[in-house]
Amino acid sequence: MFKQSRLLKKLDHTLLAVVALIIIFSLVIIFSATKDDIALSSNFTKQIINVAVGMVAMIVMFSINYEDLAKHMKHLYILNLILLGAVIFMGDSALGAQRWIEIGPFRFQPSEFSKLFIIICFAAFLNSRQGRLSKFRDLIPCFAFIGVPLLLVLKQPDLGTSLVFMAIMFGMLFAAGARPWLLLGLIVGSLGFVSLWIWAHFWLEANSAYHLWIPLKDYQLTRLTIFLNPWADPLDGGYHVIQSQIAIGQGGLLGRGLFHGSQTHGDFLPIQDTDFIFSVVGEELGFVGAVSLLFLFFILIYRCILIAVNARDNFGYLITTGVISMLAFHVLVNVGMATGIMPVTGIPLPLFSYGGSNMMINLAAIGLLLNINMKKQNILF
Amino acid sequence: MRVYLIIVGVFFSILVLRLAYLQLLQNDKFSTLARENRIRLVTITAPRGEVFDRNGVKLVGNQPVYTVSLVNLGRQNIDGVVEKLAAILGVDPQEIQQKIDQQKRYYEPVKVASMIPLDVVTRIEEQRMELPGVEIYVEPLREYLNGNMLTHVMGYVRQINEEQLAANKDKGYKMGDPYGQTGLENTYEQYLRGEDGGRQVEVDSMARPVRDLGIKEPVPGNNLVLTIDYEVQKAAEEALARASQQAIQEGYGEARYGAAVALDVHSGQVLALASYPSYDPVKLAGVLSQKDYDEIFNSPLKPMLNRALLTYAPGSTFKMIVAMAALESGQIKAGDTIYDPGYFFHGSNFNCWRSGGHGQVDLIRALKVSCNTYFYQAGLKIGIEDIAGMARQFGLGRITGIELPGEEAGVIPNRDTKLEQNMYYLDEESQARAKEVKQRYDVLLGKTTDENERKSLLSSKSEELREINWELDWHDYDTIISSIGQGDNHYSALQLANYVATIANGGTLYQPYIVQKVVDFDGNVVKENAPVVLGQANVSPQTLAAVRQGMYEVTQPPDGTAYGIFTGLPPAAAKTGTAEVYGHEAHALFVCFAPYDNPDIAIASVLEFAGHGGTIAGPVAGDMLAAHFRLTVPGEP
Repeated sequence: MFKQSRLLKKLDHTLLAVVALIIIFSLVIIFSATKDDIALSSNFTKQIINVAVGMVAMIVMFSINYEDLAKHMKHLYILNLILLGAVIFMGDSALGAQRWIEIGPFRFQPSEFSKLFIIICFAAFLNSRQGRLSKFRDLIPCFAFIGVPLLLVLKQPDLGTSLVFMAIMFGMLFAAGARPWLLLGLIVGSLGFVSLWIWAHFWLEANSAYHLWIPLKDYQLTRLTIFLNPWADPLDGGYHVIQSQIAIGQGGLLGRGLFHGSQTHGDFLPIQDTDFIFSVVGEELGFVGAVSLLFLFFILIYRCILIAVNARDNFGYLITTGVISMLAFHVLVNVGMATGIMPVTGIPLPLFSYGGSNMMINLAAIGLLLNINMKKQNILF
Repeated sequence: MRVYLIIVGVFFSILVLRLAYLQLLQNDKFSTLARENRIRLVTITAPRGEVFDRNGVKLVGNQPVYTVSLVNLGRQNIDGVVEKLAAILGVDPQEIQQKIDQQKRYYEPVKVASMIPLDVVTRIEEQRMELPGVEIYVEPLREYLNGNMLTHVMGYVRQINEEQLAANKDKGYKMGDPYGQTGLENTYEQYLRGEDGGRQVEVDSMARPVRDLGIKEPVPGNNLVLTIDYEVQKAAEEALARASQQAIQEGYGEARYGAAVALDVHSGQVLALASYPSYDPVKLAGVLSQKDYDEIFNSPLKPMLNRALLTYAPGSTFKMIVAMAALESGQIKAGDTIYDPGYFFHGSNFNCWRSGGHGQVDLIRALKVSCNTYFYQAGLKIGIEDIAGMARQFGLGRITGIELPGEEAGVIPNRDTKLEQNMYYLDEESQARAKEVKQRYDVLLGKTTDENERKSLLSSKSEELREINWELDWHDYDTIISSIGQGDNHYSALQLANYVATIANGGTLYQPYIVQKVVDFDGNVVKENAPVVLGQANVSPQTLAAVRQGMYEVTQPPDGTAYGIFTGLPPAAAKTGTAEVYGHEAHALFVCFAPYDNPDIAIASVLEFAGHGGTIAGPVAGDMLAAHFRLTVPGEP
């Protein structure tokens, strides 16, 4: 008992408080976003259960000896591949993509879980290759390590999650000591290459009879590019982007008031409880509400960075940077999408969007970070 | 790790800046867009003005009907909705699609169907969730309280067509608005149409109304108070139908058309104006089925025609004109008699209708027994110019100017009309020559004032025309047949009634009118029509009295041609007419006024191809008189 209470004193209370605030905030917004929509009105209750389940996952991840995870790296990696493979063969589809598998009454999204698997496994992988990351040649095994699950996720197809994998990979490689300029070159190079590929695809489509193959479906291509000019197709391809910007834009400084967003409650805003939940915040609580939420996320990430800095071992440090990369990328891309400066990729806002799998892995990741934080100094007792 | 913090910090700064741009700088723009998203203006159609008869009996009102409209949903794939809705309404989806495609202003709802029965409304309401964009509105629709009665006067209302829309652009009409197509509905469109109201409605993304934001009540159109007497109008329409049936029973198979007009002789107010057969204006208000369309527009009965405004040969109802012209010329006195052997020989035989003749007849008796021989001779003696001049004074052969579209002018036959008409049967060269002759003599005749010179000019004109073609010139036989209302005489029942009214009232020719006043929703008089005098007939009171007496005799035993029709009614004065129609049975005509000693009503009735005027057209007038005097049907004690 005594030992436990000493340990609890070392909990990162700020982090916990920020997480709690974000979740409470999210529940209020989910309530608002779903209360007038018959199809979604049960989601508020479900999300409370999701939070409860997520807290269990957090406590589990907090309680284990995280160093043991490295030992099971191979098993976790293979389990992840099996789950991702299972989606392709027995998955349930939604919005043109297979993402869920059902086991009894539970439906879950392996691609969400795989983010955490990838972070843990890649941390163990990089930990074993310390000091051997300076050359491009050294990076190739890393790419292969991430590449296999990434291709499986892309096959679902879940473009958003595969981009998250990339963000995690680059963030962790940077933390593990890979040369920053090399990574930056790779990022810029691959972004440039993909942009050029897409541009060439469209250009050839419009100006010639040639068809340049591209590993993306038409709707994915549209989502990726429509944010550049949503008004080109305001009723179909650009609809989400425009309605989201209208929602946020009309929020003004203080918003239209909680439960009073006409875009949200008139059902103009699509998928308002998951992908576009940030737009609800923007509409109903305005600039003040939206920036407050961003501030909470910033504090969250800032606290995570502190955990990374103080981590006892390299494995914990790498895990933390992976989680930071994941969270930061999620927030950036989700909010960027809602505000119209990022492509529509369907990435949820962590700890905020409706969805069980997402809530669970994010809370599990937080649990893991609290675990790492608590062991930052040797416990002498 | 500081690099991480910087990168994350930069990213978050970008997001905050973007939010500031959207929410603080562009707030107005997006607020407007959001408002356009959710606020819709729904038109509330104003009820059209109601229509009352002279005694306050409501003739045309409005009833609420349900209409189904489709609201443009933008992103929705509404194909499914169109098919579901078509299935519920029981129409072809193509039909609805067509209406959607025709809609130019996409934000306006497209009216898909009108006059929807309540059970269909219920079914649509039940399936509301699966029918995004489908709206049910209640709109006022014309209600005709007496079936097809007064249809030809009122006309019908139908959605404005593209031509009408283009012509009335600046008056605030839009697609789907009701518009008076014919009759008073058309003439008084600007008064009858109200001012549409509007409702601001907040809607969701499926265009389902969420709440009302504000309402502007519509202003109903102005009411019309007609000069029509409901009782007389009803009697006229029923009598026409009955007369037609009777004539058919008697073997006049073509007797399917007729008209009757009753006027107030002291003002020109129309007490009744009926045309037979009629049509159902309700069928024309909504979606018109092919069957109904054929029934109304392609029927050989042509029910859309207002036959009270079409012209017919007047037959013997014209004889009062000749009588008055004869007396006014001074060449014939009322007491002068002729002997009628049953025919008049002038180049060839012109028969009286009674083969044995009428013996000694003076003017009064000639009118009473409708002696053709008397009028052949009288007409020939005074000449066609006098007859035509008299006809003109009584408003014949020209448009009366009543507030109804579709009026025919008709023809008073004379030298000029004959020349004009027959010219067109000639070859081009003769036609040109005839035109030249006409123009030359018109100039010369216009200059001269000397009677002798005029006569010589006319005779040389005749000679020149005869040289071109015999039938270009006016001949005695033209005068003879014109004198009994045959030949080219063509007048409408409205003109005939008005001419008889002028005889009855002492020579004042009024313009017939049908709307007494226009009254707005609050009861204020917007427009009031007063009687308009078109002219005073230059006829002596003695002449008028003689003609009236002759017409009175028509109704008297033993041999007045309309004897028996007015039993049980105040004493009336009348004239029958039977107009020969080439290749058909004759048209039956009848004119009368009553009471004889102090007239207030004049009537003309016509039944096409129904044989003799007295027996078929006369009873129609009799029924109308009975209704006017609020008596029971004549013939019954």
